[in-house]
Amino acid sequence: MTTTLTTPPRSETSAPSGARGRARKPRERWNRPGTLVLVLCSVTVLLPLYVTLSMAFKSPAQAVDGNAFSLPAPLSVQGFVQAWQLTGFPVGLAMSLLVTAGTVAATILLAALASYAIMRNWERRMFRWSFFYLLGAMFIPFPVVALPQIQLTGRLGLDNPAGVVLLATMFQLSFSVLLFTAFLRSIPAELEESARIDGATTAQTFWRLVFPLLAPMSATVGIFAFLYAWNDFMMPSLIISDPALQTLPVRQQLFQTQFSNNYNVSFASYLMAMAPAIVAYLFTQRWVMQGVTQGAVKG
Amino acid sequence: MRARATAGALGVALLAGLLTACGAGDGEAETVRFTFSKREAIPYMTKVVDDYNASQDDVRVELDTSGVDVVSASFVRGNPPDLMLANYNNEVARFVDRCTLSDLGDTRAASAIRTDLQPLMDQYGRCEGRTSALPYSVMAASVIYNKTIFAEHDLEVPRTWSELIKVADTLADEGVTPFYGTFKDDWTVAQGWFDYAVGGQVDTIDFFDRLAAEGSDVGPRSAASFEKDYTRPLEQMTQLAGYVNDDAPSRAYGDGNLAFAQGEAAMYLQGPWAFSEIAKTAPDLDLGTFPLPMTDDPADLKVRVNVDLAAIIPEGSQHQEAARDFLEHLYRPEVIEPYNESQLGYTPTTDAPPPSDPRLAGMTDYYDTGKVYQGASVLVPKTIPLTSYAQGIAFGEDVGTTMRTLDEDWARLAMRQ
Repeated sequence: MTTTLTTPPRSETSAPSGARGRARKPRERWNRPGTLVLVLCSVTVLLPLYVTLSMAFKSPAQAVDGNAFSLPAPLSVQGFVQAWQLTGFPVGLAMSLLVTAGTVAATILLAALASYAIMRNWERRMFRWSFFYLLGAMFIPFPVVALPQIQLTGRLGLDNPAGVVLLATMFQLSFSVLLFTAFLRSIPAELEESARIDGATTAQTFWRLVFPLLAPMSATVGIFAFLYAWNDFMMPSLIISDPALQTLPVRQQLFQTQFSNNYNVSFASYLMAMAPAIVAYLFTQRWVMQGVTQGAVKG
Repeated sequence: MRARATAGALGVALLAGLLTACGAGDGEAETVRFTFSKREAIPYMTKVVDDYNASQDDVRVELDTSGVDVVSASFVRGNPPDLMLANYNNEVARFVDRCTLSDLGDTRAASAIRTDLQPLMDQYGRCEGRTSALPYSVMAASVIYNKTIFAEHDLEVPRTWSELIKVADTLADEGVTPFYGTFKDDWTVAQGWFDYAVGGQVDTIDFFDRLAAEGSDVGPRSAASFEKDYTRPLEQMTQLAGYVNDDAPSRAYGDGNLAFAQGEAAMYLQGPWAFSEIAKTAPDLDLGTFPLPMTDDPADLKVRVNVDLAAIIPEGSQHQEAARDFLEHLYRPEVIEPYNESQLGYTPTTDAPPPSDPRLAGMTDYYDTGKVYQGASVLVPKTIPLTSYAQGIAFGEDVGTTMRTLDEDWARLAMRQ
């Protein structure tokens, strides 16, 4: 369903935009400088990705021969096997997924609730101040409060992935609230008033009407929260005390030593860790694009 | 009302936790968390742990490879690991200085350790009346040289400074790069060039004692200072740095290993950790080691050592006895000696044989007779960017000026502490 919507025949999409002043020119206009810039931009992404891929399949000897761009010969999966064993990959992946899913869900939910309450009560002082209070957290980076957080989570029995979810959500909240409140401003109050007239309570208005309308922004907030929680190294490394419950980035730290280069093992491991993030990115990016245009048309 | 209920629930949960902790004593095995994060040796240690777990039912050892940050956090939290084998440096010494590690002086392992290593351990930190850490693996580092190249040019291993210069000149004249420099990685300059140059000429333990006595007075007028004691060896280092490959400033550690493995230079200022990296490219290369001669007296020859691994048991551990039991197991000759053999390290116990690897043979005599020093670059706290200063000198910065800066840094740090 979605695929047919987003990929209509080419002539249809270019016709309305190209029809105005350029009837003579062929419909396909090739923007040379623009394309060149975009090609260069994509190279900055594709090249490291290619190196990661080829490096992961190299043998230890070939990995250190100084030719990062050469193709792996002979093809070796030894790197994957070692990385899998050294990091305890399945458990690490499960923990990373748990922490990320928890953070994304909690951030979207709490930020949406808070933003709704704040925006609809903007004229009240306490709500306004609580907005500034939430934004204030943007100025506090985690390292500054790391020590007390380690002690606190230790005492409360939160020195595990649950504690990381809690803290990550907290740190992600301010930015997400900022995004949601800005988006909420564009949703007309009349929509809610009509729901009220139909007899909806505040909770019903939020769940049935506002939250679905927030979907595009929820996707954006979710992506930010995902990237943060998935890639974060410092917080899980300091907060989680049981090594068996550690997330992937922390487990992979093993490969970064001063004295030895095991590029094939490290890159195999990074590749395995990247895979879920790339998959999630491919899916959600499409959804966001669609969501944003939808929102724009309806608003 | 609700707050009280929550507090009550928390209390019950805590109590339950305590009770289960007590229950573990009878019948079930006691769990010991063992931190070890030297990647190359994890397979070996995993096997040691598995064998130990299989051999008895009282103690269960869990291997934790998650690294240093996690350990620091666990000390803050109050649940440190029960036993650690860690690289012994200023970071670990902080736990020693603050007396957060239990005394290992009464263990069997402690009585087997060479006593002349204790001054090296004390250089980093001390807790009065305690043996806070026991060395487990000592790494010796000096000049790595390509025996084939030396033989081709009829060269002997130099034992004095003038012989070294002669060797370098001969090689340079015959079109061979004498030294391979990897100055892009500042730590390689500090570890090799800086430390070997200083350690080969200055008595490092004595120097740092005198420096500590000066405290915040270190400067142009003090009896001991970096400027007074280090300028001469470092001038010699700059002279040697004239014999490196042309692209040394842009070469990093990995490049150096590759180039040296391909026979692009005759000598390489690196530690034994580089052997396994070189072997990835050239497994059969005929390599040897010799201490860098910095004076004209062969009696001054010394090798740089560092305590690659030291065993510690934090005071905060709840399983002191069980941890000690496993510690004794780790120090049994059939465990510690094969470990060091496989990692090219020296076993710090009195009756242990040196590693049999021929590449290390050039250093064994010096280690056995205690002619060793610890690198000056690792003894200076990391708040002082010594590695960058060393790199600056390799790039042509004036030695005197750099050493004066270092003196000022040292004095400021001494004043703050």
